Amino acid sequence: MTVELIVVSVPIGVALAILLGVARVYGNKPISLVATTVVGTFRGLPAIVTLFIIFFALPDLGIYFSSYWSAVIGFVLVTGAYQSEYVRGSIQSVESGQSLAAQSLGMSRSQEILHIILPQAIRAALPGISNEVIYLVLYSSLASYIGVQEMFGVARTFNSLEFRPIEIFLTAGLLYAALATVCFVGFRMIERRLRIPGLEIAK
Amino acid sequence: MAVFADFLPYILSGIVWTLGLVAGGLSIGFVIGLFMAIGQIYGGEEIQAVIHGYVWFFRSIPLLVLLFLFYFGLFPASGYKLDPLACSIVVLGLRSGAYQSQIFRGAIISLGDTQLQAARALGMSRLRGIFHIILPQALRISLPGWSNEYATMIKDSSLTFALGVLEILTRTRYVAMATHEPLVPYFFAGGLFIVLTYGGTKIVNILYERTKIPGLVGKL
Amino acid sequence: MTSSEIVLKVEDVEKGYSDKKVLNGVSFEIDKGQIKVICGSSGSGKSTLLRCLNLLTRPDKGRIWLEGEEITKGLDNVNRVRQKIGFVFQEFNLFNHLTALRNVSIALQVVKKMSKDEAKALAMKELERVNLENEAHKYPAQLSGGQKQRVAIARALAMNPVIMFYDEPTSALDPQLIGEVLDVMKKLAKEKLTSLVVTHEIGFARSVADEILFMGDGKILERGPPNQIIENPAHEDVRQFFRRINELYRREQR
Repeated sequence: MTVELIVVSVPIGVALAILLGVARVYGNKPISLVATTVVGTFRGLPAIVTLFIIFFALPDLGIYFSSYWSAVIGFVLVTGAYQSEYVRGSIQSVESGQSLAAQSLGMSRSQEILHIILPQAIRAALPGISNEVIYLVLYSSLASYIGVQEMFGVARTFNSLEFRPIEIFLTAGLLYAALATVCFVGFRMIERRLRIPGLEIAK
Repeated sequence: MAVFADFLPYILSGIVWTLGLVAGGLSIGFVIGLFMAIGQIYGGEEIQAVIHGYVWFFRSIPLLVLLFLFYFGLFPASGYKLDPLACSIVVLGLRSGAYQSQIFRGAIISLGDTQLQAARALGMSRLRGIFHIILPQALRISLPGWSNEYATMIKDSSLTFALGVLEILTRTRYVAMATHEPLVPYFFAGGLFIVLTYGGTKIVNILYERTKIPGLVGKL
Repeated sequence: MTSSEIVLKVEDVEKGYSDKKVLNGVSFEIDKGQIKVICGSSGSGKSTLLRCLNLLTRPDKGRIWLEGEEITKGLDNVNRVRQKIGFVFQEFNLFNHLTALRNVSIALQVVKKMSKDEAKALAMKELERVNLENEAHKYPAQLSGGQKQRVAIARALAMNPVIMFYDEPTSALDPQLIGEVLDVMKKLAKEKLTSLVVTHEIGFARSVADEILFMGDGKILERGPPNQIIENPAHEDVRQFFRRINELYRREQR
């Protein structure tokens, strides 16, 4: 279940991050403000509080989400907010000349962003994004407190049945570490695949 | 809402505990982080390997798992009896030390070799050079990254609810469960955390501005 | 001269930034097939002028017509107009994440909505025109400065513009690479591709330009055929400028 949570939350989170990043850089005042507020809120809240609000507090307003979906929504919001900072920074790091060239060829703003800016920005943001994904792997343990059947919750259950805390939690911890390492290596491979030939040498 | 107003003081008093956790964790982390950073840069290969392992351990294992591992497992096994608060502070500190060591390490590296060389050329021992020349600069450069660590610590402190530490989140949960009206307490707690996170970060940034070395814009 | 021959008409263009006025009323015309060169010292407003002409920067005052259509007022779609102008930048501004071929073809697909194969074929043709068909699959970071600029020219040409703007195309190049770019530009000039070139390369201007517009202090100080402007200018500033350049050339020839 842990793996499933990650696999679902990450892509949506990345998509949200790109949306927020673009909104903050290219959006007009209202859009940019909304994006900034969203980012600020979910970076300022502890992830667990976000999860609790979605799962426990929203029902008071009549909004009900299952454990699973509360976790996904919560993680998407949190990781999306953190990642958008990397995206925003990397968009701004793309030289302005690229923009000028795109415009001089007659590309519209959205064409420019989609075909020229984002492909370069996302490559630059990958290290930061992979960092956040690893955080997500570790913080997925929080989901056990809103009823999701993930590794940490299972570990606690084992522990209450047969009190062997060191073995159980050490194992759980190492499993998370292994998962994190897999993600890390995975992202390294993605980075390598997407590398722009010649650019690192030039740098 | 009127019911909640009665519980307001209860939740607010959790701030003291939260700040206590943060202060304790950051302090322990500071000392550990500083020593480890110096060890990683100036130490021999064995020291570096040990530090590497420590950092990897505390950065690859979720905080919740660490809290449970230490509170239910390691501490009782070692014979020390620690209450949830103290145990949490220790775990938060150990973990923060791992992160802070990387912040300080980056800051020291960004200074380059030349500073220490100059100090030693003047006759200072390595230790004196590190203490009087490297650290004052490195610590100032670290401030921006460090404010990040503060923010993380405020948020992570909430995870100690799992051990029952009476900080903000724990109290909020009790109130929510007691009043059967989770909406207001949780939103309030959320607002509280946001204020603490950004307020504190602002303070650290002001500190950074005040103590900035003129002309040396964050080389990080 | 009927107005249908005039490709670009500029009238009293002004542009200022918070601290100073960069363009102080510039007016001129370019007919179809003409090559005009803009010279002047740095700060005379040459680059700003070019950027105003394809509306990358908006002029504060003045009017501009492209092929008889006024583009400074009431323009529905600035992108449509930009397609008709080929712009070559001093810093090349090639798209780093795309191969040379893709750099040339991307606007064809995205803006002109050509099919992938059509765009690719046309892009290849343009690369051949600038002698770079063998580097089509290389990325910008793998190309020399001269090659990059030629790709940039191909990219602009592919859009089939009615006029080409060159903004100091060789100023960012190492000396030995300038030649290959100038050769391409000369070839295009011989094909009567209407062009407006901002440059310091006097030799190029002398051999190819129909008229030189000399700018200073945000205005055109003097204009005329290359031989007249370079050898025997009327305006004092122009005279000084070319005197200094001639001295430099003479010194080097010793």
